[in-house]
Amino acid sequence: MVRIYVIDNGGQWTHREWRTLRDLDVETNIVPNTTLFKELQKEKIQGLVLSGGAPRIGLNSNLGNCAEYLDKADIPLLGICAGHQFMARHFGGIVKPSKIPEFGQVELMLCHDDEPLFKGVLKKSIVWESHNDEVTVLPKDFVKIAESENCKIQAIRHKKKQFYGLQFHPEVEHTQFGEQIFKNFIQLCEK
Amino acid sequence: MFNTEKFIEKTISSLQKDIMGKALIAFSGGVDSTVCAALVNKAIGNRLIAVHVNTGYMRKNESEQVTQMMEDLSFNYRLVDASKEYYLALKGVEDPEKKRKIIGEKFIRIFEKVARAEKVEYLIQGTIAPDWIESGGGLRDTIKSHHNVGGLPKDMKLKLVEPLHELYKDEVRKVARSLKLKVSERQPFPGPGLAIRIIGEATPERTELVREACDIVEKEIERASKQGLMELPWQYFAVLIPIKTVGVHGDKRAYGNTIAIRAVQSVDAMTCHYSTIPHNILDAISTKITNTLKDKVNRIVYDVTNKPPGTVEWE
Repeated sequence: MVRIYVIDNGGQWTHREWRTLRDLDVETNIVPNTTLFKELQKEKIQGLVLSGGAPRIGLNSNLGNCAEYLDKADIPLLGICAGHQFMARHFGGIVKPSKIPEFGQVELMLCHDDEPLFKGVLKKSIVWESHNDEVTVLPKDFVKIAESENCKIQAIRHKKKQFYGLQFHPEVEHTQFGEQIFKNFIQLCEK
Repeated sequence: MFNTEKFIEKTISSLQKDIMGKALIAFSGGVDSTVCAALVNKAIGNRLIAVHVNTGYMRKNESEQVTQMMEDLSFNYRLVDASKEYYLALKGVEDPEKKRKIIGEKFIRIFEKVARAEKVEYLIQGTIAPDWIESGGGLRDTIKSHHNVGGLPKDMKLKLVEPLHELYKDEVRKVARSLKLKVSERQPFPGPGLAIRIIGEATPERTELVREACDIVEKEIERASKQGLMELPWQYFAVLIPIKTVGVHGDKRAYGNTIAIRAVQSVDAMTCHYSTIPHNILDAISTKITNTLKDKVNRIVYDVTNKPPGTVEWE
């Protein structure tokens, strides 16, 4: 059984992330973002999800110890919403209030054909969003892997590490390929 | 995957260990509280007292149906009619969060009273995951204070037991089916009841209007779905918007309130899509509501908002 924990940054859907992982037979736990990285290492985790957060924290707050995880982790990390924004900011990207915030149903467009995180996901699919802010400038070590009409940076991947950021929410029921994306992430963690 | 049988077994055995004396359960008659009551009943038998409060904000004939259900399940139960008290407490209150908190606190005070009389130490609630997630606290923002979480007074003396705390509605329904409970497919109904389906002050008169409108929406949609004309939504009801608009009733000017029809599809209430109701069904609902509520309501609107950005209920 693969072990992936969810770092709680205070999002409405943190618990959904936990549930999706649990339903896919992952050994999972929700832990506060104040947990030290060495404590997580002791638990022999194979992957981490950085959850979304309370309003606007992706824009300019510290997300507990998320910076430490990003500096030290050599396991796959998946940042969602505020977790994704923080990841981008941490590596030198820019996050700004969205010109057109997205709530609810949005069409996601993938940028490449062979992204491991998007294996089995259609080039165009429905995802659900809930954000006021977004990544406007990509950090230098990252590539953009998906976009939507009103948010050009919907998903990012680190060029060398297994770090992924998603602006949309794969954990909610209404995201068309949400479960598939989690399955792909789990596979990356199993390697 | 969520294992229903294992959950039932584990919950009953830990309830047997945790509950030493008598317990009471806040019993609305919905899926959550019924599953909860059935589990606790299996664990401690008649040491459980089910308390159903008629807040005055229940749907048409609801408290009668709930009483029948408690009879059918052979529960040890008490009925409390507190409608007058609730109407009084909500007099002049328009803010949705205030409404929710007043209702939540009142529930607890009533339960404490029963607890004192019956020498009960434990309060069982059918709280599920979205209730405490949306109620906020710690890092999380408060979307709405669910009556059973954010509405709990700080000085509550009863020991709280919430066996369904980590579950979502679809999982609770699975448990209900496995326990062969009739309510397993019943649509959710919020604890604060019709009070949060009335925008603005929830007066007894307005409550009668929304109660009637909710009943019409429920019956028409249930009929349509039985006839295969539409999928039965996750939740479907009416909201009273006390904004008056002009109409014409038999050559005479009318000036009445507005009713919104709300129906959504969901699996776990954390995201929802508004339901597509066929136009002829909308038509039937619209005509029936305006003809029944005549001079009180002369305009019907259809809510086409998803969650997010909306929530299921309007308040």
